[in-house]
Amino acid sequence: MTSVPSSRSSVSGPQSPVSAGPTTGRLIVDARNVSRVFAMPAGPVTAVRDVTLQVNNGDHIAVRGPSGCGKSTLLHMLGCVEPQTSGTLLFDGQDISRLSDARRSLLRLTQIGFVFQRFFLLPMLTALENVELPMSEAGVAKQARRTRAIELLEYVGLAPRADHRPSQLSGGEMQRVAIARALANGPRLLLADEPTGELDEATGAQIAALLDRVNRAGTALVIVTHDPALADRAGRVLMMRDGQIESQRVR
Amino acid sequence: MTAIGFAWRSLVRQPARAALGILGVAAVGALLFDMLLLSRGLIVSMQDLLDRGGWDVRVSAGELPSSGLRIPNAIDTADAISRLPSVQAALVVRTASVQIDRASGQPIRASFQGVATRSTDPAGSRLRAPWTILRGRDAEGPNEVVIDEKLASESRLEPGGTITMRASCVADLEALPAIRLTVVGVAEFPFQSTNESTTGGTFDALQAACGGNVGSEADLMLVTSKGDADGTAAAIRALRPEIRAATNTEVVGRLQQTGFTYFRQISSVLTTVTVSFAVLLITVLLTVSVNQRLGEIAALRALGFSRMRVVKDVLSESALIVGIGGLLSLPLGLLLASGLDRILKGMPGIPVALHFFVFERQTLAVHVALLVATAIIAALYPMRIVSTLPIAATLRDEVIG
Repeated sequence: MTSVPSSRSSVSGPQSPVSAGPTTGRLIVDARNVSRVFAMPAGPVTAVRDVTLQVNNGDHIAVRGPSGCGKSTLLHMLGCVEPQTSGTLLFDGQDISRLSDARRSLLRLTQIGFVFQRFFLLPMLTALENVELPMSEAGVAKQARRTRAIELLEYVGLAPRADHRPSQLSGGEMQRVAIARALANGPRLLLADEPTGELDEATGAQIAALLDRVNRAGTALVIVTHDPALADRAGRVLMMRDGQIESQRVR
Repeated sequence: MTAIGFAWRSLVRQPARAALGILGVAAVGALLFDMLLLSRGLIVSMQDLLDRGGWDVRVSAGELPSSGLRIPNAIDTADAISRLPSVQAALVVRTASVQIDRASGQPIRASFQGVATRSTDPAGSRLRAPWTILRGRDAEGPNEVVIDEKLASESRLEPGGTITMRASCVADLEALPAIRLTVVGVAEFPFQSTNESTTGGTFDALQAACGGNVGSEADLMLVTSKGDADGTAAAIRALRPEIRAATNTEVVGRLQQTGFTYFRQISSVLTTVTVSFAVLLITVLLTVSVNQRLGEIAALRALGFSRMRVVKDVLSESALIVGIGGLLSLPLGLLLASGLDRILKGMPGIPVALHFFVFERQTLAVHVALLVATAIIAALYPMRIVSTLPIAATLRDEVIG
């Protein structure tokens, strides 16, 4: 098993007040009866209803369900970008709803990694610079972040393409760069929203294998997917319907 | 990567849009710079023009030296003024219209400035007439004259030549005999306009040209103080309450309240319009740019970029567009000002040495301050867009879109 390059030695950014908590504990996210209701012109729409979910260190969770069942909303709530309407969401024991926007940003920067269906790599930056970006924001010194970005690109098998712009990369390569970027600051939790949604089957399998490898190295992984093959790799598969967890299968 | 570095990459990413913004700011900035140069240009230039020659107090019969009223008993008055303790010298100036005969072709219409200096101070007698000798020497006797460069060129006259002049001193219908004068020098007359010709000589020469009809009336009196212009002007007013004495600064102040005020008002209106246009241009460009990148910005926020950071990125992008455009606007503005100055100086009656657009450090500072304000104000709306961007909803919309 290849381990994810450690960020401990190279990340020297500002210490997060929220990461000063029990970072060595098993439990990362503790969501208790969380709901998310959107106010719509036709009336309120409940996207997530009374969901209780714990994510522990090293967990590999897949969330499945029909379109509009609230999978992405739940993922965004776990990633602290979507506030819950009710319930309690604790990250490392801290109530997310009590954190300021700046503290939530810092929490995401240092503890959470995001992988998006559409990659969202910055087209004007090279692959290397894209991976360096979160470390730059975290205040990592230039040489240290360059070294780690190269290590991460090697880890995802793209070191030879470090100087390529996203437009010069294939979809699978872009997603691998996006995964390297998500791992830049050594997050404890990696959230992936349909990471193979824009890829063909073979490339999707490569990305799935890469995510497995990241998880086996110790990073907790929550994947929202329609792809049964990708979901089957998870240790826990949650089936959602109408904003609720309908069933849970543990492998 | 710093916010400026990031903004630079964002600009380079869409070079056509960036070039459009920068060129737009350069063009608008050039106009803005010119309006700022114009707002004080006439004042600064007029002050400079008045200060030339060392005459710091102007005495006239009307509110302004150019009012058309004449000072009665000017020579006696100049004598009395020159005896004031604070006065170094007084110069009487009387102007008449003249026609200069040419061997071939139409006679040339010109003006003749006759001057007489009065001083009790030895240093005062060394003061120059209100013109600058370019070639030859100044006129000293009643049969001598200096002419301007235009006249010298049109009449092919140089120092040593002679001219025949017919003066019109009191009314245009006078039929005075022609007199012959020797050209002793070619001079620059600072208040002469581009389309007129001027000659100058002594007051006695003017009297001779006018057949003795001038009397002792003068259009203007120039006074040099011994350092206290304000005190000298006050002393002259006390000595002769019927005439107006004003320092050069006071004359400029009066011009500011009358004729120059139009230029200041035009300049203020156009400055406001150009700044507004620049703000709108950059706001539109940045808003379009931000709206095209909402997904990326939401992704960066999800990855942990703070609200302040994405706001800084937008502000930096605005600063870069305005900064580069503003730098380009300076040479462009100076070039444009030079052309506009030439056009405006073509208006009748504008002195050759007067400039509408004058560069001052203060103008540059105001220009920079206005551009900085433009960059900030223009970025306000796009900054608001990114600072209030709902991260999850935007990511969701991008996927659906």
